[in-house]
Amino acid sequence: MRIADYIEQSFFNLWKKKLRTFLTTFGVVIGIGALVSMISFGKGMQKNVKDQFEKAALFNYVTIISNSEGEHLAHSPRHRRVEPESNRPGRVLDDDFIHEITQLEGVELAFPERRFPANLKLGEKEQFALVQVLPTDVCRSKLMQLVVGKPYMSDNENAVIISDSLLRRLNIKDPKSAIGRKIEVATLILDLKNFLKPGGIISILAGKSLPFSEESYTFTIAGVCERAGFHGPMPLRSDVFIPPGTADQMKKLSSTSIWDFFQSKGETKGYSMLNVRVSSLKYIDSVKAYAEDQGLRTFALVDQLEEMKTAFLVMDMFLLAVGMIAIVVASLGIINTMVMSILERYKEIGIMKAVGATNRDVKKIFFFESGVIGFAGGVFGLILGWIVSILINRVVNHILSKQGAPHVDCFAFPWWLCLGAILFSIVVSLIAGIYPTLRAARVDPIVALRHD
Amino acid sequence: MDFNGFVRTENLSKVYSSGRIQVVALDRVNLSVAKGCFLGVTGTSGSGKSTLMNLLGGLDTPSTGEIHVQGKRISEFTSDELALYRRYQVGMIFQAFNIIPSYTALQNVALPLLFSDVTKLQRLRRAEEMLAKVGLHSRKDHRPGELSGGEQQRVAIARALIHRPNIILADEPTGNLDSQTSREIVEILSDLNRNQDLTVIMISHEEHLLAEFADEMIRLQDGHVVEQSRGD
Ligand SMILES: Nc1ncnc2c1ncn2[C@@H]1O[C@H](COP(=O)(O)OP(=O)(O)OP(=O)(O)O)[C@@H](O)[C@H]1O
Ligand SMILES: [Mg+2]
Repeated sequence: MRIADYIEQSFFNLWKKKLRTFLTTFGVVIGIGALVSMISFGKGMQKNVKDQFEKAALFNYVTIISNSEGEHLAHSPRHRRVEPESNRPGRVLDDDFIHEITQLEGVELAFPERRFPANLKLGEKEQFALVQVLPTDVCRSKLMQLVVGKPYMSDNENAVIISDSLLRRLNIKDPKSAIGRKIEVATLILDLKNFLKPGGIISILAGKSLPFSEESYTFTIAGVCERAGFHGPMPLRSDVFIPPGTADQMKKLSSTSIWDFFQSKGETKGYSMLNVRVSSLKYIDSVKAYAEDQGLRTFALVDQLEEMKTAFLVMDMFLLAVGMIAIVVASLGIINTMVMSILERYKEIGIMKAVGATNRDVKKIFFFESGVIGFAGGVFGLILGWIVSILINRVVNHILSKQGAPHVDCFAFPWWLCLGAILFSIVVSLIAGIYPTLRAARVDPIVALRHD
Repeated sequence: MDFNGFVRTENLSKVYSSGRIQVVALDRVNLSVAKGCFLGVTGTSGSGKSTLMNLLGGLDTPSTGEIHVQGKRISEFTSDELALYRRYQVGMIFQAFNIIPSYTALQNVALPLLFSDVTKLQRLRRAEEMLAKVGLHSRKDHRPGELSGGEQQRVAIARALIHRPNIILADEPTGNLDSQTSREIVEILSDLNRNQDLTVIMISHEEHLLAEFADEMIRLQDGHVVEQSRGD
């Protein structure tokens, strides 16, 4: 028998029982659809995270954290490991240290984390945000993912970069329209005059006034960047970025939290965090070792990669398990249909054997039928999974955009998933067809021919 | 009796055992059929006629004894060899027609060719030829439900002939037909026997009809050949 004959025969026989074939295939479609969208979701999330890190060259960064900086920054177990050492007073993260680090092999640049609170005013809207001081070099690097506009070109430019998410919160839908607009940045400063006035302290303690006043500056929006979708000790941690020269001219609180301000008692403790960029991943360890030797803590995203992979694997497994349940149910449907079909065609099988079909011929006829169900189920399941993923993506992004988050693609459809889904569907269907097929081959023609 | 026959059995026995009860359907049957012979088989119900036919047709295997066809000992064949034997050497016709209801007449006739390496075009062309031979060419696209009993049996004959076998085994082919149609069917078989040198073995209860066309006749009783005679 020729392949084309088997296929034609399968379609002929399946078509005879349209409804049953449709229902059985539909079971497979749902199973494969579920599996495909589950895997696609897992892969999509993975791809999102990795792409963002890689696009921004974040794997090339090491963050060095001052020992007095809050615990919350170091949350991975890897950091706990170095903690006993960190009891001794670590090196202060000052400009000398930055200079030393810059001399290490493979270090491209190092910049401290400097942020201050400010009130932003654009048109009618106001928003409170942390403004980060970012060197021009970094602003012009891959790290800064601009949606529109351009980075500032010098350390003294009177320009800012603002995140798309903050723009949305400021009621600006189209980032393009923000380029070139003026934004007012009002910094908080400690108002000593007010503080030292008789009765000033009392009014502060009574909560009637605060010892702060505002100082207002105006900048031009040079570019709009993507809001980094992750947290932790990363190089970019704000919604607004300004060049260092400009920042130095502003009157402002130097710390991000009022508690830091009160705790510091005016001492110079250096910076809380230092971001170091290396030219290649192989220098990460030496930079880390250098800093840790001086009693400092470090964080490198690349170390998280293995943990991330494990987490993704667990997620994949879970999604796979859910999808597999649907597949098992679909397989039972195929077995049921095939057994039914064989019982119905009992006599036909006997006739085919009587006119010279071998057991192999009979087996193949039924195998092809299962295979055709599997193929159709695979193709349409893939389409179903794809449609479902588009719908879910729409809904998710609708919700995300309301919260000012950037657009994400929750699903990924690599070529191997598409091909694999169809192949897998065929293989599963063939496996489901084994038992019915063996039963068909065992039919005794004499008994079958006597059968009505 | 010719022991170098075209179809020959030696002490052929078939015992069915269902549970503790054993039924001896055939008991040491020795038979020899010459090439081109038309053999008629009669006997009471349950005498073992169908059992003999199924053994000769390679649908079943003997309990003891041997079957030789064209010098080959088919009683030793594996199930795959038997399938090929059924496909190419013999054509079987049954009382119940045994054609597939969902296939057209043409598809039914072409069915045996499906299992050998013949293109679809060739299959249909040869099937049409065969249908023409049994006078049913105009009904080729009709399904069995749309054909009379005699026409269905003619479809079955065309199917049996499609691989140009040397032997036709017919198990009561006229059992479901009226006497007029029965005669037509036997005439077709007789015609094939005479003009194409086909060896025909046919079972029938209608001894007169059989005697009219058969070269030789045997009668079975309780699994034994009890009578042998020359036809007219
Ligand atoms: N599968 C079987 N299991 C047990 N006994 C069987 C089986 N097939 C046939 N027999 C028995 O073998 C004997 C011969 O049966 P067979 O069908 O050959 O008779 P027959 O001559 O063809 O009868 P009929 O004229 O009614 O068709 C009968 O007694 C029957 O009951
Ligand atoms: Mg019988």
